[in-house]
Amino acid sequence: MATLELSKIRNIGISAHIDSGKTTLTERILFYTQRIHRIHEVKGKDNVGATMDFMELERERGITIQSAATYCEWKGNHVNIIDTPGHVDFTIEVERSLRVLDGAILVLCGVAGVQSQSLTVDRQMRRYKVPRLAFINKLDRSGANPRRVVEGLRDKLKLNAVLMQIPIGLEANFLGMVDLVTMRAMRFEGDNGERIIEEEIPTALRAEAEAAREQMLDAVSMFSDELTEAILEEKVTEELIRDAVRKGVLSLGLCPVFLGSAYKNKGVQPLLDAVNAYLPSPEDVQNTAIDLENEEQPIALSSDANKPLVALAFKLEDGRYGQLTYVRAYQGMLTRGQTITNSRTKKRVKVGRLVRMHANDMEEIESSAGGDIVALFGVDCASGDTFTDGSIEVAMSSMFVPEAVISLSIKNKDSKNQGNFSKALGRFVREDPTFRSAVDPESGETIISGMGELHLDVYVERMKREYGVEVETGAPQVAYRETISQRAEYLYVHRKQTGGSGQYGKIGGYVEPITDGSKDFEFLDEVRGGSVPNEFIPSVEKGFRSMIGKGRLIGFPVIGLRVVLNDGAAHSVDSSDNAFQAAARGAFREVYPRAKPIILEPLMKLGVEGPIEFQGSVLKTILQRRGTVIGTTEAEGFCQVEAEVPLAQMFGYATDLRSNTQGKAEFTLEFARYAPAPRDVTEELIKKYGTRVKGGDEE
Amino acid sequence: MYQKFLTARSPVRLLEKGLHGGLGKGNLGLVLAGHGIGKTSFLVGVALDELLRGGHVLHVAIDQTVAHTRAHYDTLFGEMASNARLDDAPLVHADVERRRSIRAVSSGTFGSAKLREAVKIQQETGSAPVLVILENFDATRAGQDELAEMKALAQEIGAEIWLSVACPGEQVDGLPGALAKARDCFGVILALEPEGKSVALRALKDHENPDVSALRVALDPRTLLLTRS
Repeated sequence: MATLELSKIRNIGISAHIDSGKTTLTERILFYTQRIHRIHEVKGKDNVGATMDFMELERERGITIQSAATYCEWKGNHVNIIDTPGHVDFTIEVERSLRVLDGAILVLCGVAGVQSQSLTVDRQMRRYKVPRLAFINKLDRSGANPRRVVEGLRDKLKLNAVLMQIPIGLEANFLGMVDLVTMRAMRFEGDNGERIIEEEIPTALRAEAEAAREQMLDAVSMFSDELTEAILEEKVTEELIRDAVRKGVLSLGLCPVFLGSAYKNKGVQPLLDAVNAYLPSPEDVQNTAIDLENEEQPIALSSDANKPLVALAFKLEDGRYGQLTYVRAYQGMLTRGQTITNSRTKKRVKVGRLVRMHANDMEEIESSAGGDIVALFGVDCASGDTFTDGSIEVAMSSMFVPEAVISLSIKNKDSKNQGNFSKALGRFVREDPTFRSAVDPESGETIISGMGELHLDVYVERMKREYGVEVETGAPQVAYRETISQRAEYLYVHRKQTGGSGQYGKIGGYVEPITDGSKDFEFLDEVRGGSVPNEFIPSVEKGFRSMIGKGRLIGFPVIGLRVVLNDGAAHSVDSSDNAFQAAARGAFREVYPRAKPIILEPLMKLGVEGPIEFQGSVLKTILQRRGTVIGTTEAEGFCQVEAEVPLAQMFGYATDLRSNTQGKAEFTLEFARYAPAPRDVTEELIKKYGTRVKGGDEE
Repeated sequence: MYQKFLTARSPVRLLEKGLHGGLGKGNLGLVLAGHGIGKTSFLVGVALDELLRGGHVLHVAIDQTVAHTRAHYDTLFGEMASNARLDDAPLVHADVERRRSIRAVSSGTFGSAKLREAVKIQQETGSAPVLVILENFDATRAGQDELAEMKALAQEIGAEIWLSVACPGEQVDGLPGALAKARDCFGVILALEPEGKSVALRALKDHENPDVSALRVALDPRTLLLTRS
C-alpha cells in the first residue's frame, strides 16, 4: 500500500455515554465503509455482537472496556477509529485513547441528552484539546428531542453547539434530516439505509430550516471574515460555510451537531462526511514530545516522513495472535524490518510484523507514516512507552496517571495455576498504568490497586475468563493518608558510644503542614553558619523521607509535610551519614505526635442520574454513606445529583443504587481530593491499626 | 464558638433587632432591588447565617446551575472566614455544605407544588429546612394564589421562605404593581439600594408594625455583609 497523504488521515475517537448507542454507531460506520458485511447488534440475538466489542466480558455486560483501534476508508480518506470505553471506572483507558486522537465524535442519546458521564468524557477531551463533533443518536426513540440536547451541550458542557441539520419528523416518524449547508432533505432507503435520497425540503419544514440555517450561519461566521462578508453580500457558498466550520472546530470554538439514529440506519453517512470535512488530519494538530537530552524541554514534532521516528505505544493487547502493541507514529516512518528503540528501557527491538487492525481481523502492511495508527507484533513494552529510531532521545510527554485509591488482596485458589496468575497480573499492569500489583511484605499477600471497586472487579473477572485463574479476594482497602495539622519544633540528638567509633548527630528545626496541596513533601535547609555540615544535610533529608512512607498513626503514607532544618551540631569523628539519618528518624518519631497528625480519606465525586421520581431514594443512598449532596439539577423528568462521598463508604454502591431505583439510575465516580476523616472514623482506624501492631507486626 | 465570629457582621443580626425579631418562622420575606445590586448575595448571606447556626437550608436556584449558586456560597464563606481568621475553616465549610441543599430547577416547571415536593424530599432524608431561599424566582408572574400557597407551606413546615424581585432602576419605588395584591402574603419586605459607596438596606414592611424606620443599615456592596464602620 502506498504511503498515505497525511491530509487524508483522520484519527478519531467515539466517546459516549454507556447507553447512547456508541457501539451500534461504530458498527454502522464499519458497515457503510465496507469493513464488515453484516450488521450485528450489541448483545445481539445472533450471539455475534457488534464488531468492536470483541471481548467476551464486554459482550456479556454490553459495555466496551478495551479501546481497540480499527480503520476504515470513507470517500478516499483513511479513518482510524479508537473505540473508547464508556464507563467511568475505566477512564484511564479513555484518557490514553484521547492522547492519540486528533478529533472525536461525542455521541449523545437524543432522549437522555447530556448525562454525568458525558460531562466526565468532555472534561477529558478538553484537557487533551480534542476538537469534536456531536452526534445526537436515537432520534427514533419516543421522547427524543435534539434541541434539548443541544441546549444541554451549551449549558452543561459549555460547548458552542450548533445544529448542522434539523430532523424530518421525530420518534416513530423520524425519517431523515435537512442538511443546513446544502439545504437539501435526506432520506435513507434500502435494507440498511445504504441509499441516500436527496430531495427538496418538505414545504412544512421550509421556514424552520431557513431559521435554523440563519442561526447556524450566525454562529459559524464568527470564524471566517470571508463568510461574514459573503452573508452580507448574499453570496454564501457551501465551501465557505464548510471552511468556516472547520476553522471553528479546529480552534475548539465550535461544536457542530449532527443527527440520526444509528439503529435505524439514518444519518451515519452524513456524519462520516462531516468527519472528513471538519475533523483535523494529523497535519492540523501540533504534537510535542519531551527532549530527554535537554532537561525534558518540549520539542515540536512534525509528521515529516524523513525525520527521525517518534511513536507512542498506547495500547497492548494479548489477543489470539499473541501480544499486540498499538502505536501511533507522530513523526517519521515505521517500516517492517526496522530496528526501533524504546526510550524508557533503551532496548532495541526489530519490527517483525506491522499490521492494521480491524477489531478481530488484520491486514499486513509494509510501512506506516507519521500520523497513522498501526499495531506491532511481539514487541515487549509497557503502555505509554515511546519508540524512536535510536537517533534521538525523546519521549511523548508523560500522561496524567492518577494515584490508586483502592486496593484488594487476592489469592490464587489453585496453586497449580500460579504461572497464569503471574502472567495475567503482569499483563494487566503493563496495559493499564492505573492498575498496580504488589506483594505485601508483611502478610505475603498479593495486593492489587486501582481507581475503583469496579475497576478491580473487571480485572478479577478477566483473570478468570482469559487466564482460567480463579481468585479469592479480600475486603477492599481504602488508600488513606496521614498529614500533620500544626507546626511543631524538634531538637534531637542521636548519640551512640559502643566501643570503637561512636555515632553523633544533632538536628533542630520544625515541621509544618503544606496547606495548599502543592507538594507531598518538602525539605528546606535553613542552616546558618554550618552547624550541620553541608555533606550531612542530604542525610537528614533522607532520614526524614524514609519515615513518611508509613505514618505513625495508622501506617499510611504521610503527605503535606514540610520539614525545616535550621540548627544542629556535628562531631569531627563520630558524625556520619548514618548518624544523621538516624537523628532525622528519631526527630520524626518524636515530633510527629506533637504536630497533631490527622487521617485523610479519599473523597470521591459522585454523580447520579435517574428519573425524577427516584430522587428521594437516590439522596438517601448518598446520605446513608456520609455523603454531602452538593446539589440537584432537575430537567425534563430526569434529575442529576452531585455529591461528595468518602470512598470507604462506596463499596457495593452499584447494587444499592440499582435496588433503590429499579435499575433506572446510573452513577459516575471519580477521585476528588483527600479530606480529613471525621473523628469517629479516625478513632476506629487507629484502634484497628493498634490491634494489628499489637498482633505482632511491630517493626 | 466559631459561629459567633462568623455571624458578627451578618445583617441578619440587625434584621432581628430592627424588625422586632426578624422574618420569623412561617413567613415569606421579599427583597427588592435593581439588577446587579446583590439580591442573591444578600439571600446567600441570610442562608449562611442559618447554616452556621446549625439549621438546614434549602436553596432553590431557578434557571441557574448548581455550580453557579455554590460559587456564591463559597465566595461569601471565604470572605467571612478570612475576616474571622478561622483556623478550622475547611471543617466548618464541610459542615455548612452538609446542611445545605442546592436544587437547580427550570422556571418552566417550578411553582409551589414543586417546592412542596422538594421540601418533602428534604424531610424524608432527615434534613427538613428551617430556611428556604428561592433564587431567581419571578414572583411578579407567579400570581397571588401561588404566593399564598407558598406562605401556607412556610407555616406548615415552620420555615422562613425568602425570595427576591428585580426592580427597574437603582432605587426601589415601592412594591411592583404586579405584587400589590400579594402584599399581605409577605411578612417582611426589604429594599436594597446603592447609597454612596455602600448598599443601603431598609424595610418597606415589617409584619404589622406601621413604623418601619427602625431598620436602615449600610452593607458592603461586594459581600452584602455589614460594613466595618
